[in-house]
Amino acid sequence: MEKKDQLIKIFSRTIRDILSKSSVNFEAVQEIRLRVRMPLILIVDNQEYYMTKEGDLSVRREDAHIVGREEIKETIEHISCHSLYAFEEELKQGFLTIQGGHRIGIAGRTVLDDSGIRTIKYISFLNVRLAHQVLGCADRIMPYLYENGQVLHTLIISPPRCGKTTLLRDIIRQFSDGNGGKKGVTVGVVDERSEIGACYQGEPQNHMGIRTDILDCCPKAKGMMMMIRTMSPAVIAVDEIGSREDLEAMEYVMNCGCKLVATVHGNSVEDIRQKPILRKLVLERMFERYIVLDNCGNVGHVGGVFDSGGSSLYYEGIHSKPPCARRAGCTTTHESQAGALGIPEFMPPKQ
Amino acid sequence: MWMKLLGSILVIVSCSALGMWRAGQWKEHRKILEQIRKMILLLKGEILYAHAPLGEALEHVGKKSEGVPAKLFCQVAERIGQQDGEVFYELWKEAIECCRKELLLTEKECQEFQAFGEHLGYLDLGMQERTMELYLEQLQLSVDFYREHERERTKLCTSLGFMGGLFLAIIMC
Repeated sequence: MEKKDQLIKIFSRTIRDILSKSSVNFEAVQEIRLRVRMPLILIVDNQEYYMTKEGDLSVRREDAHIVGREEIKETIEHISCHSLYAFEEELKQGFLTIQGGHRIGIAGRTVLDDSGIRTIKYISFLNVRLAHQVLGCADRIMPYLYENGQVLHTLIISPPRCGKTTLLRDIIRQFSDGNGGKKGVTVGVVDERSEIGACYQGEPQNHMGIRTDILDCCPKAKGMMMMIRTMSPAVIAVDEIGSREDLEAMEYVMNCGCKLVATVHGNSVEDIRQKPILRKLVLERMFERYIVLDNCGNVGHVGGVFDSGGSSLYYEGIHSKPPCARRAGCTTTHESQAGALGIPEFMPPKQ
Repeated sequence: MWMKLLGSILVIVSCSALGMWRAGQWKEHRKILEQIRKMILLLKGEILYAHAPLGEALEHVGKKSEGVPAKLFCQVAERIGQQDGEVFYELWKEAIECCRKELLLTEKECQEFQAFGEHLGYLDLGMQERTMELYLEQLQLSVDFYREHERERTKLCTSLGFMGGLFLAIIMC
């Protein structure tokens, strides 16, 4: 089924009609935003457009289709397959993942109880983030993730919407299938939000490689331990690490002979060093490679690949320097990040 | 004379068969209610234990079970999978209307069965549990009624059938 056909089914009848009339290329659509009594907005190729009733993209606000409360209610019913109860846990975290790996961000009024957020009511804001599988997007950095034929502990650092999950997915696939003459290894994926494998009824909807086992919708810390005990993976992959439990589980993974590939939100290695929980891993040089994605140029632009000592091994845009001038807000520096790591640049690599 | 006798025998036999068929319908009705009850219990397990969405839960239960209710569950699951943009209650009502004759349910039972779908999927797991508990209670009452009156009703129908046939035969002769 085409991505468009699959996706429009989650919307209310009115929005479904508008989107089905539209000639927009859904491969280029990044987000569809629904806000109650506000215009229907699409983010296409990093540009924001209003969607008209006729299904055209417009930059004029007055042309936009205004989203009604009933439309949001109906959309929620379709997103949850008429079973909101089945997504209670996801709802508490403010998002749902649907078939195809697309993530729906939800906002409204939270209902609290003693244990924290119980649910969200008066759901009035939806952000449909489309998952894009880009096979081969990790090709250029794969050579830097091996040393003497062995996979290295790798951390992907990226701000939101810069393609870290897409990159992680392709790295997993290439580790699993084998890459550039290197043998494939068993990869265990702990997919807490069903974003990496986009499993539907246990079956991954994305290409994850022939030696990949996926623990779907499982908390990362518990999942990593379970994977090690049960599936004997050579590499463990997780998305969006950050909690203290994650840190403990990662240390366990790294100290038991498994390799770890993880992602984290941030702009640079310096950002990670500032995080109270993750700084320990950086200072102790637990990660052997850092891949920094940035918001310069296209989604998925690699700001740099650094080794554990912070030395730059690779970056994109060398022939078009200064690449960072291309987009406002780009903060990546392509120089060595050794200073950021708090490690003198001349320091020999950890043995 | 022989023709009259043959005719009378035919009338008695057909009327008795009609009576027995009515008695059979009563039993069949009770069996369908029991089957629905069993399937709702399975559905409860799927929803409360596995947190399965309605489509998946109905499909699993439908495939595990037999008869018209199983067909109904599979049909609703299929419609949910098609994502036509209809709300669940509409799908549920349409499917019940479609199988109404085969389900042998009375008007009241049909209404209860449809009302059960109205609140299914709404709010949290606790709400699902209460909705199913309520319907299970209603079903239990119906099943108890049918079971309680089964013997007398069966006897009544078969006797009425035979006696009616005999009466007609006497009148015709």
